[in-house]
Amino acid sequence: MRHYLNCKNCFDLLMDYLEDSLDSETQKKLDQHFAECSPCLNFLESYRDCSKMAQQLRDQQVEIPKELENRLKTFLHEQM
Amino acid sequence: MEGHFPVGEVFCMVVVRRREMKTKELGQQQIIQGLKDADSEVIDDFIQQFSRPLFGVILNYTKNPPDAEEILQDTLLRVIRKIDTFRQESDIWPWMKRIAINNSIMWLRKRRASRGREIQLEDFAPTFSEDGHLHGSVFRWSVDPEDVILNAELASQLYEAIQSLPFEYRVPLVLRDTEGYPIKQIASLLGLKEATAKTRIHRGRLAVRRKLADYLEGRG
Repeated sequence: MRHYLNCKNCFDLLMDYLEDSLDSETQKKLDQHFAECSPCLNFLESYRDCSKMAQQLRDQQVEIPKELENRLKTFLHEQM
Repeated sequence: MEGHFPVGEVFCMVVVRRREMKTKELGQQQIIQGLKDADSEVIDDFIQQFSRPLFGVILNYTKNPPDAEEILQDTLLRVIRKIDTFRQESDIWPWMKRIAINNSIMWLRKRRASRGREIQLEDFAPTFSEDGHLHGSVFRWSVDPEDVILNAELASQLYEAIQSLPFEYRVPLVLRDTEGYPIKQIASLLGLKEATAKTRIHRGRLAVRRKLADYLEGRG
């Protein structure tokens, strides 16, 4: 791995960085870059936040129309 | 948090909340036994209890309510037919959810003919100078990711941003970010190489990020 990582190198490794799949030396170089480069840090945080926000959609509840529930009941009773 | 999301011609109310879909032990045992016995009252309770959360899961994969209804119907039927194979000591919700996800993916694979447009990296990536430095400033948003639970408008923007992705990107992204599946498993479920799955998740995230950044910047 090269000695110095520029913004583009860090962007290319962004996903592996967040997946924790880089070797420790490269991971440290990215840590260092993000600590020193505020535009990259802003980008990293917003990218990571999108991922965390999507997690909040887990187990969402959907109010479904009563007719759909009734159709499901009729269908399943017919199948049993 | 409640928000109304347009789904086809009807509006579904989506409630995002941090919750465990864990059934009480007695309830779970009653449901399992009732399904095995084909007890009609238990089947009705089972539909009432699980059709909403399962529909929510399925809508993450297919945006089309009639298709989602068909997948939900098939999922409930499969759960009943496979109930004998369920390991009683575990919680039934993750098991049912996996069946719903697998059904949704099978449905999507059959529909591969209707491919969406490809997301080009350069459409959503930042711009870099020739020496690889990031060009210009990057908007710093001040959003706590957990605000999504409390902020209906933000949740709606996020939901729409994800739903607007072509399914090749939406499905791996939902599996990784919403459901927390490992990349290896996503690749295997979707019949993709790991590198392709990663690229699609990355591009999907970039597209969602751009849409939310536009929204948050516009909101000031």
